[in-house]
Amino acid sequence: MTAYIVRRLFATLPVMAVVALFVFFLLRFAPGDPAAIIAGEDATAEAIAAVRAKLGLDRPMVEQFFVWTLQLLQGDMGVSIFSNLAVTRLISQRLEPTVALTLSTLFVAVALAIPIGVVAAWKARKLIDRLVMGFAVLGFAMPVFVLAYVLIYFFAVQWQLLPVQGYKPISEGLWPFAESLILPSVALGVTYMALIARITRASMLEVLAQDYIRTANAKGLATDRVLLLHALKNAAVPIVTVIGIGIALLISGVVITETVFNIPGLGRLTVDAVLKRDYPVVQGLILVFAGAKVLVNLVIDISYAFLDPRIRY
Amino acid sequence: MSGNAAAILKVRDLHTQFNTLDGVVRAVDGVSFDVARGETLGIVGESGCGKSVTALSILRLIPPETGRIAQGSITFDGEELTALSEEAMKGLRGHRISMIFQEPMTSLNPVLTVGTQIAENVVRHLGVPWRAARERACEMLDLVRIADPRRRLDEYPHQLSGGMRQRVMIAMALSCDPQVLIADEPTTALDVTIQAQILQLMLELKEKTGTAIVLITHDLGVVAETTERVVVMYAGRKVEEAPVEALFAEPLHPYTRGLMRAIPRLDVEADAAGTRPRLQEIPGLVPRLTQPIVGCAFAARCGFATERCRTEPPPVVAAGAGHTVACWEVDRVRAGAP
Repeated sequence: MTAYIVRRLFATLPVMAVVALFVFFLLRFAPGDPAAIIAGEDATAEAIAAVRAKLGLDRPMVEQFFVWTLQLLQGDMGVSIFSNLAVTRLISQRLEPTVALTLSTLFVAVALAIPIGVVAAWKARKLIDRLVMGFAVLGFAMPVFVLAYVLIYFFAVQWQLLPVQGYKPISEGLWPFAESLILPSVALGVTYMALIARITRASMLEVLAQDYIRTANAKGLATDRVLLLHALKNAAVPIVTVIGIGIALLISGVVITETVFNIPGLGRLTVDAVLKRDYPVVQGLILVFAGAKVLVNLVIDISYAFLDPRIRY
Repeated sequence: MSGNAAAILKVRDLHTQFNTLDGVVRAVDGVSFDVARGETLGIVGESGCGKSVTALSILRLIPPETGRIAQGSITFDGEELTALSEEAMKGLRGHRISMIFQEPMTSLNPVLTVGTQIAENVVRHLGVPWRAARERACEMLDLVRIADPRRRLDEYPHQLSGGMRQRVMIAMALSCDPQVLIADEPTTALDVTIQAQILQLMLELKEKTGTAIVLITHDLGVVAETTERVVVMYAGRKVEEAPVEALFAEPLHPYTRGLMRAIPRLDVEADAAGTRPRLQEIPGLVPRLTQPIVGCAFAARCGFATERCRTEPPPVVAAGAGHTVACWEVDRVRAGAP
C-alpha cells in the first residue's frame, strides 16, 4: 500500500507538468494584455510596450515558460503583476476561507445526501422516495447563484437569522465562523447533495437486490444493520467515486459562491486575476486547484481498498 | 403424517402469489406438509414449481413489493407465523428457523469477514458479547470442518472456495441451534465431489444437533441419499408425498414417474448394439401460473389424463403408510404404462 501511494504521488508529477504547460500557453494565447490594463485606457503604444518590457512579457514565450518553471521547481510561483505580492503569499492568505467553505459544504452535502439516498432506496417507489428524489432533481437543476440569492433573501434579509455576506476567520471564534459559512455551504452544497443522494439511491437499490442481502434478512438482522452495514458498505465505492468527482464541481462552484457571498477566498482571487490577466496568479491558482484534485483522487482510490477487501494495490 | 403432534413445522393450504406485468402468478397454490422434529424432508420438483417460494414463505421473506402469502397457515412450534409481527419474525429467522441458499458464491457478503457474518447472527439472537460470539463462530467453523478456523474468521468470502463458502453458510445457519434448517438447493452450484461432502456434513450435523432439515432440490439422487420423507411439487401444488423408500419403490403420481424416468442411469445394461435406453423426457411444458388451473395441473402433459383430470381437481388418495398422491387415475398408474 505504501509503495502504491508513493508511486501514485510520483505519477502526479507529469500530470502537474501538463497542467502547467496548458495553463501557461492558454493564458498567453487568450485575448487581453495585462500591460494594456496596467498602463490604463489612454496609454500610448510606447507606454504599453514599456510596461510589457518591465514585466518581461516581451521576451519569447518559450523563454518565459522556462523562467517560470525554474522558479516553480524552487517553490516560487512568481509575483503578481498588479499587487507585486508573491503568488504563494496571495494564495496562502486566501486559502482558509476556501478550504473552510469546501469542507463545510462537503460535510453538509455528504451528511445529508447519504441518509437521504439510503432511505429513498429502502422505501423505493414509496411516497418518501418520490418526494426526496423530486427534491433532488430540483436541487440539481437549480443554479448556485439563484439558490444563493433566495437563501439570502429569506434567512438573512427577511428573518435576519444569518449574516447576508462576508466571512469570519476561525480565529474570531467558532460561532461567527460557522455562522458565516451556513448559507454559502447550503447554496453550494445542494447540487452536490442531489448528485450524491441519487447515486446513493441507485447504488443501494442495486445492492439491496443481491443474494447476500437476502442472507442478512434470513438471519433476522435489524433493518438498520442490514441497510447501513451489509448494504451501504457494498454500495460505497460508486458513492465515494461521485463524492470525488463532485469536488471538481465544488471548485467551480466556489468561484460563484464566494462572489455572491463576498468571501475573500481563492475563488474571488481567481475571478479577479483572470479579469486582469494577472498571469502568474492565474497560473499559480490553476496549479493549486489541479494539485488538490489529484490529491482528492488519490485519497478516493486509497479509500476503495478500505471499503472493498477484494481491491488490493 | 398430517396432524402429527410431533411436527415442529406445519404448512397448511399455503398460497403465495406474485404480481407481475402478466398478471398474478400463483407460485404456491395450496401446499400442505409437516416437518417432524429432527427429520429430513425433501421437497422436489423442477425449476419454477414453487419449492423456493415455499421456503421463503415459511420465513416470510417474500418481497412485499411484489409478492404475498395470500392464504393458508404456517405454524412453527405451535405459533402461527403468518400472524406474527415483523419484529417477532426477525427474532425467529436465523435463530429457530435458518436458511441456506443455492448460491454460495453470492450469498455471503463480500465486504464483511466470515467471522463477522457468523458472529453477528449469534450476537443478534443469543445476546452474547462480540468476543463470545466470535468464539462461537470459531467453534462453528471447526464443526463444519474448515481447517484453521481461527485464521479463517478474519478472511473474506472471496478468499474461500465455493465448497468452503457453503460450509460457512451452514456454520452461520446452525450457529444458534435452530429447530429447522431450510436448505434451498444447497449443493446445486457445487462440484459433484463437494456436493457429497456438503450433504454428508449436513446429515452429520443434523444427528448432532437434532435440527430438522427441509432440503429443497430438483435432484432425485440427492433426495434418495439424504431424506426420510419426500414432497413432490408440480406447478405450485403438492402432487405426492411419501417416505423416501416408498416413493422410490412405487412412485404413484405420473409426474413423479416422469421425473424418475428422466434420470440418466448407468446401471442399466446396454443392448447388443451398445445403445442404452433413451432417456424419457416429460412431454410439454410447465403450465403458465398466471391462469388459475382447473383440474389437475399435470393433466396437459400426462399420459393417463382423462376429461375428468382436466376439469376437476384431483382427490388426495392415501396409498400406504404416509404415502399420499393427488391423482384421479392412481389405479391405472399402478397397473402400468398408458
